Amino acid sequence: MGQQDSVLTPRRWLGRLAARQRRLIGLSMGAGLCVGLATIVQMALIAGWVSALLVDDAEPTSLAGLGVALIVVLALRAAAQWAQEVAGQEASLRIRQAARSELLAHIEALGPVRLGGRHSAALGGQLVEQVEALDGYFARFLPQLRLAVAIPAVIAVLVLWLDWLAAIFLMLAAPMIPLFMALVGIGAERLNRQQFAAVSRLAGHFLDRVRGITTLQLFNRAEQASAEVHAAADDYRRLSMRTLRLAFLSSAVLEFFAAVAIAVLAIYIGFGLLGYIDYGPSPQLTLFSGLLILLLAPEFFQPLRTLSQHYHDRAAALGAADALVALLNLPLPKGAARRQPSDGQSVVSLDGVSVTFAGRGRVLGPLDLTIAPGECVALAGPSGAGKSTLLQLIAGFVDSDTGRVTVPAGEVAWMDQRPLLIHGSLADNLRLAAPEASDADIERALEQAGLGELLGALPAGIDTALGERGAGLSGGQAQRLALARVFLSGASLVLLDEPTASVDDDTQTALIEALKALTAAGRTLIIATHHPALMGMAGRVVRLEDGRRVDEVMP
Amino acid sequence: MSLLASVYRELRPWLKLLGRRRGRLALGALLMAITAFAGIGLLALSGWFITATALTGMLLAAGVAASLDVYVPGGGIRFFALTRTVARYLERVYNHDSVLRLLADLRGGMFRVLVRLDGQALSKRRASEWLNRLTADIDTLDSLYLRLMAPPLVALLAIAGLTLLIGVFLPWAGALAGGLLLGLWVLLTLGQARLGMAASQRRVASLDRLRSRAIEHVQGLAELSAYTGLAAHRRRLDEHQQALYADQRLLGRRAALGNALVGLGVGVTLLAVLWLASLAYARGVLSGPLVVMMPLAVLALAETLGLLPSAFTQLGATRAAARRLNALGAAQGAIDDPRQPAPLGSTTPRLAFQAVSLRYPGALQPALEQVSLGLEAGQRLALLGASGAGKSSLAQLATRLIDPQTGRVTLDGQPLVELALHEVRGCVGLLTQQGELFDDSLAANLRLGAPLASDSQLCQALATVELDAWAEQAQGLATRVGEGGQQLSGGQARRLCLARLLLAEPRIVILDEPFAGLDAALAERIAARLDHWLAGRSLLLLCHQRAGQPLAALGVDDWRQLERGKMALSEGRR
Repeated sequence: MGQQDSVLTPRRWLGRLAARQRRLIGLSMGAGLCVGLATIVQMALIAGWVSALLVDDAEPTSLAGLGVALIVVLALRAAAQWAQEVAGQEASLRIRQAARSELLAHIEALGPVRLGGRHSAALGGQLVEQVEALDGYFARFLPQLRLAVAIPAVIAVLVLWLDWLAAIFLMLAAPMIPLFMALVGIGAERLNRQQFAAVSRLAGHFLDRVRGITTLQLFNRAEQASAEVHAAADDYRRLSMRTLRLAFLSSAVLEFFAAVAIAVLAIYIGFGLLGYIDYGPSPQLTLFSGLLILLLAPEFFQPLRTLSQHYHDRAAALGAADALVALLNLPLPKGAARRQPSDGQSVVSLDGVSVTFAGRGRVLGPLDLTIAPGECVALAGPSGAGKSTLLQLIAGFVDSDTGRVTVPAGEVAWMDQRPLLIHGSLADNLRLAAPEASDADIERALEQAGLGELLGALPAGIDTALGERGAGLSGGQAQRLALARVFLSGASLVLLDEPTASVDDDTQTALIEALKALTAAGRTLIIATHHPALMGMAGRVVRLEDGRRVDEVMP
Repeated sequence: MSLLASVYRELRPWLKLLGRRRGRLALGALLMAITAFAGIGLLALSGWFITATALTGMLLAAGVAASLDVYVPGGGIRFFALTRTVARYLERVYNHDSVLRLLADLRGGMFRVLVRLDGQALSKRRASEWLNRLTADIDTLDSLYLRLMAPPLVALLAIAGLTLLIGVFLPWAGALAGGLLLGLWVLLTLGQARLGMAASQRRVASLDRLRSRAIEHVQGLAELSAYTGLAAHRRRLDEHQQALYADQRLLGRRAALGNALVGLGVGVTLLAVLWLASLAYARGVLSGPLVVMMPLAVLALAETLGLLPSAFTQLGATRAAARRLNALGAAQGAIDDPRQPAPLGSTTPRLAFQAVSLRYPGALQPALEQVSLGLEAGQRLALLGASGAGKSSLAQLATRLIDPQTGRVTLDGQPLVELALHEVRGCVGLLTQQGELFDDSLAANLRLGAPLASDSQLCQALATVELDAWAEQAQGLATRVGEGGQQLSGGQARRLCLARLLLAEPRIVILDEPFAGLDAALAERIAARLDHWLAGRSLLLLCHQRAGQPLAALGVDDWRQLERGKMALSEGRR
């Protein structure tokens, strides 16, 4: 049973999210029901007014009471309608917020490595776009689902009481409704899928051209490519019109039945009132009952029409949930049972550890390694030997399947080839590592990382804003900024993954000097590298091959 | 009013674009209007019919001789019912087709703008960000007609029709209904637009900000979790989410207000018409069936007016999208083609950079500072420099992917900006470091360089870069290269790009790290073949360092050094 429950399906996830805001969704439904009831009362008041005026020959002034009642009902209806929308929207906002937090918490718990080959920009986009795509389902579709049954039922009962023959005419269309709903449902789902596929194909074409825009410019193909983009979009139109025609047809069928039902009702009521029909309840029809039935007939079909309009919300939400649930189903690490903080001594000690990746087998271990506080250790070896995995294991991004990992408690300093640059000032970027750092601390860290000269040239100093993705910084400067973070953080353990790859010689020299300064300050450095100069500065070089230690050189 | 004027100004280019399909759009609006009028007719006529039959029935029951033609109104009801269904179906099909045509126009037009942008403007965003931005903005704009233009127009027509219908029988009631509904129309369009303007203008931008925070969060998981900074960054992300949702909440509430107002306004108008009609009936100037027809006709308007509030609450989003796209299309950052270009000879010209300086917007330091460099006709020169030294910027200047802020680039003494763009790019060929390939066949990718090249020419170019054997093993020239050339290894992709450049036959060739990722022996062999091809052409080779480059095989004699955007003094000959 536990196994069954742990597999999350899109529907189950949507249901769980909705359950948390049951009250607001219920409120939205209740308010929607009030709108329906107020509409019925409103129609009854109009029919009553007309009947009193025309049949009972009442003076218009004597109808003032009805007028006041009508105004009150109109106001109530407006208020209920507002409440229905606002409650639905509030439920959707809270649900989306909760869904996003759940996803973020899951991603954080997975850490950088277990997310596997997922493109981080695409994943970030998913967290925004696909969570937003849940909106219509919770705000509109879910409350309307019950209303589409409840309101027609109330109207049917009322019409049955007024004239059962008329109710039968109305209900003749009713068996068509579930059939139609299924049709629309299937149609909408298929439409949504096809549409989605066509849209992504179109987007792919567009993205392909945008990516290659420089090439198109260089080969003088700008005009031709623009025409091709237009042609692709036009092809998309032809394709989607084929499906759209069919989809609109199915909703036209519902409309057709509704329109026929109303027309038949109008004619039945007319003939009944004329006394042409002697059968059943027809002779008892009055202007009041006849007019009320006529006015309620469109309202009988309205909730269903509204629901079918919101049907694509459901399809969109299911599509988004599908992708998001796949993310939530990525298994979390089994816990840090094999990890323990080293007491006092800040020793890093790996005892018989091994790391296995699904599909790649064992990439590291079995391996033993002890690194004393203040040591500087270089990890060397060909690419794919497990250097990065070893660093990730120490940092806690991956788990060991065997043995024991002992690392100092608290934060570690981390630096890899692609430093994180956030949208914000230089200071914001550094405070990621030490939120409490003072401005002076930040300036000192920048200087230690060799950015003092740049800082001096900036009028706004550490408050200089970096553009998106650190626009304005060169690759070498970005790397030094990451180094400044290491200086700023008090972490005793510093993990560096190929810190000198893809930077120019000047930066390389500066980085090595800075790392020496870190060692001198008593920090423990573990560096994965194949740069000879870095290996030269290390106190010890640990060489890896196929995930195992092959030798150790004491320079 | 000034708000209205500025919204109009911003939307004008797009309205103009819509204007190209004027006939289609008018027909679509007509179908929409027919649907609305059929709805009014159905309800009004049904009400009239039932009342007439009831009154006649009462007379008959009282023994008074009375008659009523039931067939014409009965037929009318069926006619309106059918018309509404058919017109709505046609309207939806036709208008969606129109909108998709507009989408194609917009996408094609947008790409035309994009393809004119210079490298600086383009490099501000990644391709996928351009895509997000453009699709979000274009989607917002393509509903301009279907949400913001046709529905209010049809609503106005329906109000006018209703005013006439009631006014024919009871002018005062007609005028009152028309006045009330017109007031409601103004509230639902202009009023709602004003209520939602500020918040809906922020919509796309705040979504963008939330997205970039979310991407940071995922991309930076390693650093954020190592430095225990996840919670702090999460707070930042939450702040952006709060801001976004505060706007959404506000907009939702205001749209709900407008939707509630539709029911209320229509109801109040109905009551007013019913009241005036009842008074007229009591005075004996209006028949009973007409008393019922009038309010019911008003009631039928709710559906038409119901389309307005949510559309107009979001007007600001359309405005902001138009503004962003307008800014993109504005001259800034675009490469201009001269009106009357100077002629360029057919021999290989001398390429010269004369004291050019270039600074990317927002960059902390200039990319190039007062750089002067000449490449004689037939000369083969290596330009060395670390990454970020400015080599690629020079290459972009020579092909007018970018224009310098100061200084100039010339071909045979003619400034590039005075030459026709296609002449410059036809004369100077550039192999970029990225080497972009398209998700298409080998042949299609190669023919970008030479659209008219024969299959055997393509194969010959592939042979030059030693891709011929590989292509034969795959599906020959029809082999698909995958998205961004994914099906090829990095080295294969570089060589394919090189083959494409060879086919284009440029007279001046700029190669940016052409042999990166190739083993030395292969590089030597390709270089030897290039040496032969290069006869009569000039070569500017951009690379990190001399070591490891097949300079001898390429026949490169001279080298210069670029350091942090400036020419270094060191230079030399082999």
